[in-house]
Amino acid sequence: MATRALDLPHHDAPAEATGVWSWITTVDHKRIGILYGVSAFAFFLLGGIEALILRLQLARPANTVVGADTFNALFTMHGTTMVFLAIMPFGSAFFNYLVPLMIGARDVAFPRLNALSYWIFLAGGLFLNASFLVGAPPDAGWFGYANLTTRPFSPGLNIDFWLLSLQILGVSSMIAAVNFIVTIINMRPPGMTLMRMPVFVWMTLVVQFLIVLAFPPVTVGLIFLMFDRFFGTLFYDVVAGADLHLWQHLFWIFGHPEVYILILPAFGIVSEVLPTFARKPLFGAPVVIYSGVLIGFFGFSVWSHHMFAAGMGPVADSAFSIATMIIAIPTGVKIFNWLATLWGGRIRGATALHFAVGLIATFTIGGLSGIMHSSPPIDLQQTDSYFVVAHLHYVLIGGSLIGLLAGAYYWWPKITGRLLDERLGRLSFWVIFLAFNLTFFPQHYLGAMGMPRRIYTYAASTGWGTWNLVSTIGAFGIALGILVFAVNAIRSLRVGPRAPADPWDGRTLEWRTSSPPPPHDFDTIPAVYGRDTFWREKHGDARGRKPTPLPPAPDPHGIHLPAPSHWPIVMALGIGTAALGALTHLAIVVLGGLVTLYGAFRFALEHHRAVAHADQTGTVGVDHRKVGVWVFLGSECMLFGTLIATYMAYKGRSVVGPHPHEILNIPLTTLSTFDLLMSSLLMVLALAAAQRDDRRQARFWLFGTAVFGLIFLGFQAYEFTHFVREGLTLQQNLFGSTFFVLTGFHGGHVALGVLWLLTLWILDVRGRLSAVDSVKVEIAGLYWHFVDVVWIAIFTLVYLVP
Amino acid sequence: MSATRPAPPDHADAAGARAHASVATYAKVAVILTLITAMEFSAIYIRQLTPILVPLLLVMSAAKFALVVLFFMHLRYDSRVVSFIFTGSLTLAIVIALALMTLTGQFLLFRR
Amino acid sequence: MGILGRARLLPRLGLAGVVALASGCTWNGPQTTLVPVSDFARETLRVYGIVTWATVVIAAVVVSVLSWVLLRYRDRPDAPLPPQTRGHALLEIGWTIAPALVLLVIAIPTIHVVFRTQSAPPTGALEVIVRGRQWWWEFAYPAYQLATANELHLPVGRPAVLRLEGPDVIHSFWIPQLGGKRDVVPGRHNHLSFTPDTPGTFLGQCAEFCGTSHANMLLRLVVESPDAFERWVASERAPAVQSQAGPAADGAAAFAASACVGCHTVRGVSRGVVGPDLTHFGRRATVGAGMLPNTVDNVTAWILDPPRIKPGVKMPALGLTEAQARSIAVYLLSLK
Repeated sequence: MATRALDLPHHDAPAEATGVWSWITTVDHKRIGILYGVSAFAFFLLGGIEALILRLQLARPANTVVGADTFNALFTMHGTTMVFLAIMPFGSAFFNYLVPLMIGARDVAFPRLNALSYWIFLAGGLFLNASFLVGAPPDAGWFGYANLTTRPFSPGLNIDFWLLSLQILGVSSMIAAVNFIVTIINMRPPGMTLMRMPVFVWMTLVVQFLIVLAFPPVTVGLIFLMFDRFFGTLFYDVVAGADLHLWQHLFWIFGHPEVYILILPAFGIVSEVLPTFARKPLFGAPVVIYSGVLIGFFGFSVWSHHMFAAGMGPVADSAFSIATMIIAIPTGVKIFNWLATLWGGRIRGATALHFAVGLIATFTIGGLSGIMHSSPPIDLQQTDSYFVVAHLHYVLIGGSLIGLLAGAYYWWPKITGRLLDERLGRLSFWVIFLAFNLTFFPQHYLGAMGMPRRIYTYAASTGWGTWNLVSTIGAFGIALGILVFAVNAIRSLRVGPRAPADPWDGRTLEWRTSSPPPPHDFDTIPAVYGRDTFWREKHGDARGRKPTPLPPAPDPHGIHLPAPSHWPIVMALGIGTAALGALTHLAIVVLGGLVTLYGAFRFALEHHRAVAHADQTGTVGVDHRKVGVWVFLGSECMLFGTLIATYMAYKGRSVVGPHPHEILNIPLTTLSTFDLLMSSLLMVLALAAAQRDDRRQARFWLFGTAVFGLIFLGFQAYEFTHFVREGLTLQQNLFGSTFFVLTGFHGGHVALGVLWLLTLWILDVRGRLSAVDSVKVEIAGLYWHFVDVVWIAIFTLVYLVP
Repeated sequence: MSATRPAPPDHADAAGARAHASVATYAKVAVILTLITAMEFSAIYIRQLTPILVPLLLVMSAAKFALVVLFFMHLRYDSRVVSFIFTGSLTLAIVIALALMTLTGQFLLFRR
Repeated sequence: MGILGRARLLPRLGLAGVVALASGCTWNGPQTTLVPVSDFARETLRVYGIVTWATVVIAAVVVSVLSWVLLRYRDRPDAPLPPQTRGHALLEIGWTIAPALVLLVIAIPTIHVVFRTQSAPPTGALEVIVRGRQWWWEFAYPAYQLATANELHLPVGRPAVLRLEGPDVIHSFWIPQLGGKRDVVPGRHNHLSFTPDTPGTFLGQCAEFCGTSHANMLLRLVVESPDAFERWVASERAPAVQSQAGPAADGAAAFAASACVGCHTVRGVSRGVVGPDLTHFGRRATVGAGMLPNTVDNVTAWILDPPRIKPGVKMPALGLTEAQARSIAVYLLSLK
């Protein structure tokens, strides 16, 4: 092994706490990674069983394994589970475990927030599957098109379970995304420049930005659906003038970046595995990085290629077609760079490499069928048929899952401290790989023969029976392969040989600490010599010249292990309870909300006076919390942008009145706008006072800002009650629905801001706020000003523009 | 900034900031915001402005938006990283909002 | 572009080759996308062929290179570290431009066909209003003032335009041999225009998940000579057949006395707009939107307990006896 040249740390440090409570309250990124991984695997098995039942039903024509309603629920749950509860959290498992190690950090920027996102994810996953327990699993497909999902056509609890769990899962992902963005940007030690980061970390960064920017539109779409179902709004009510394309746009504006969220981690893993086992660097690493960034960026421009059959017109069809083809270019470039990495290498056939190479083959096929889909005339014959089912499984299994399995085999020794059996590993690869192709390649043919997707049965006369049977046999083969993997894993944990720190002669920093790493990851923060820094340390540069050893990076915080906390799970329980309440009784919603709010307060104040938390300035010279808030505000731009766009899209489409010009009170609203603008002035005065430690002034201006906020809310309350008296309600017309939801959500943001400011004010009154806490006032201010600028946009577009 | 007490070291300024706004600057911005709001309010009542009303209002509100972001939110003085994050997200939001409006037929850039 | 000259043969050969290689099977099934019967389908297949060739070639190249690399550069014991090549700018440029060119070859015919197939239908095109409902299809011919269900008739060689409307949820009209699908979106006016060029019977089904019996919302298209079409129109416009005596007449009485009349139209007998028009039900090939052949036994079973055959169907079991149901079935099948 290549560790001979370096004296890697050997840990006699006391073992980490064990026991269930230590796992429930853990904030250690490694443990959270394991929690994500185990949960993802459990949900993956569930989603797999759902798939096997589907395949059994489809194996023969006119089969009677399950009935129509059960089948429809199964394919819905299979898709939703695999996307949100299996592939995404598998990715999160790796992000969590590896990103801090790979950049030379000791944990993520916000360890408790990290735990929070896990527990909220678990709450969402359990909530979704609780639908089975009451016999109402979601049954309108994983992308739930309106208006099938509206109450008249889906009267039961099924869709309520679906939309509530997706929103919970969205919150979990968004919180984690903010965390990882701040970590990657702001927790790199000196020497770890962005371009020296491993490609896996880069892909993670792109994925987190995709999450932050793509989840808000679907959240808005789900909010509209929720309001339609619970409160009678008209967002998807055709008779009231709604456009059913709106749901599709909002869903796919999220849904397309989502598929890049699903595949980029696998691309990152392959970009780590191939160089290690070919024993040469990733070919064109900067180009691979830029391609990933471009894919992420262009991923926002192609969404309506899911809507070629929806009737958008030839101009829109053409625009999205060309945009989709453009994305194929950076994707192809990555594949060529991977091939060039292997070329001229010294390829060792470890299991991880098998899976990485497998991905190249199957993702190429999936990508090429994707190119076929990019052409609307062809797509019109392929979309909504088994051809697209084949395509999506080639990219999601052949791409994402196989890539994640490569990662599993690659990093298993690091995470568990044990080695997996290579023979069993290769066996699992071949079974999975061959069975996968057997399952899904014939589905291209079935699609070409006109078999639509999401049908629970078909007639023998269609001629689809034979290849459906073959596909089913293949599906059971995949299950067998997963079983072999599971057996391998269990054996390894029980009797597997102990793994050294660096079993593969790796290139990146995670291999520079023990397997598994100690709780504090690194005894000393490693110095960084370039990209593939660990390889350079061991083997030198391209000419074999070893770098002059640098001292370890300065450790400004010492080894400070974040303390465990139970507030994350409390908050997650509160959120889950509130969701249950939405389906049962309002009182339970209130209970859940109060628990969540209480948990949030305790969470926020848990380390309020901790000295170690006072200064969180990071790599780019900005406090972690400030970077985090700006990322959050980026997502809020998308949230309010979508709400405003819907208002504008539905403007003038109300079938009945009252209409805006009849009811909006511009003079009054101008006053309230002025009030909010002035509140921003008070806020900056508060911050200036806080920074110079003038407590009296800080208290005065903070309170003043909150009062001005309350005045704004007062204006809004008056406006709302006046409108309702005049006959404009949420349910009256599209104007009512869009107006109240847009301005209501804005008002909700103001209210939360007032709460935040008053909390700071009370802390100050009690003498618990000082100059060192001014960053907390600053980030409250950033939030407050942002809410102000959103109002500037709303005031103009809703009130002033005719 | 007020000259009564020296400002304590502000880490947020140390590496990333390029300057720092004074209270006087904030007051000036507040006055300009008030003026623009008053102008916006008046503009909708002036008949002669009707043909250019929409672009005019959009420009004025964009100006207010920019003033609050650059000065009150301190983006003018802060690290380029957070500027990039925010302006990138904002640009994406605006482009997608426009696309959404166009696709639902409310903002036709071209005849279909 | 030179490829246009051999447009018909080459794409079909290419596709057939791939499909046959991959599946060892025919490319001609009842709902195949690969055997065109309209101008729309032929245009589509033209592009389909070009793209299939391109993708097959690329796949072959990638898989070959990959296989060769794995063999040639596999690990040998005691071999030294390989040269640590970091990259090559020219290669990067090359394999960025090459895919772009391939995509250009795909994009140009694509955009061309997109606009051709979505252009306004010619004046004089035969207009059919298609209403997709849970879970059957209504076809109305405004020019002839007739309405029927689940079976669409068109004359060969005459341009047709289907105007797609939806009173309930989103469906999708797809008869693969006719060409690509188009969604039925309530509140929007989508259309599909084409000219069928081959007589025959062609099958399809709904292609957008629309609820419980989405799988059971089948389509049947009959393309016939203009004379045969005119004869069909005439017989569809004729009033309902009235049987004077015998089982059919008994069934007529039973029908008129039952709840059937609340939902179904038999012109001259009843006016119901919830379910399909049954005036000439006896001339249709299937019952239940393509689910079963139109025999007495099948129609009887349908009338007795529709949800058992078609889960979730809006037509309830009416609590009739078997004899009553059979009698009505005989009557309905007499409505030729």
